[in-house]
Amino acid sequence: MKIKEVLTTVNQMQADGIIDRYAIGGAVGATFYLEPIATLDVDIFVAFRPEPGKLLVSPQPLIDYLAARGCRMEGEYLFIADWPVQFLPPPTPLVEEALVEAVSFDVEGVPTRVVSAEHLACIALELGRPKDKARLLQFIEAGVLAPARLEAILARHHLSDKWQKFEVQFLRGEG
Amino acid sequence: MTLQLLEILQSKQALRRRLTVLPIAEKLRLLDELRERSQTIGISRAQRHAAVERPAIPPTFVDAVR
Repeated sequence: MKIKEVLTTVNQMQADGIIDRYAIGGAVGATFYLEPIATLDVDIFVAFRPEPGKLLVSPQPLIDYLAARGCRMEGEYLFIADWPVQFLPPPTPLVEEALVEAVSFDVEGVPTRVVSAEHLACIALELGRPKDKARLLQFIEAGVLAPARLEAILARHHLSDKWQKFEVQFLRGEG
Repeated sequence: MTLQLLEILQSKQALRRRLTVLPIAEKLRLLDELRERSQTIGISRAQRHAAVERPAIPPTFVDAVR
């Protein structure tokens, strides 16, 4: 399984101190809770480690680390085991929280940190593109969201109004 | 196989439920396969476009008499 190589590599990067914590997001993350979702890339949220003596964090150590292991770079992607992988610093407080509260899975002996279902749903709501709304509906239909946890995240990140609009538009057949 | 829309939708939902509860490793294996399939489709599509867009070579006298 090629994607398992991606997971192994990311764990090794963490063990070698290249990144702090990480969490798989996007379609691959959603696949841990839903049916497999066809995707062309792997989104990994990472907390970059600041280099000694530098205030700003840089992805350069990560790029150098993977390049030394034969991974090629194309645009914003680093290719690991033929999968284009995007390493993303958390762009919003919601994703920062998702990174901290990621869930641990075991993939045939490889420990894997994945964004929680509720955070993935809230990130989809926050992004709000048609494909994100479709994914949010998948999460609801699959019944994998814990209501209390979801409500708490929505409230903390000021997404309750957006959620209500989504409910009216898609779940009550109005709007 | 049926052409009844309701049955089709129900069977799709049942398939999705079956896929959802597969072991994680199995679902990730399917992601690998889905990606390979998308790439194959993409390559064949690109080749078709290239074939369509390639300017036609005007037949020469030599071609005509071959």
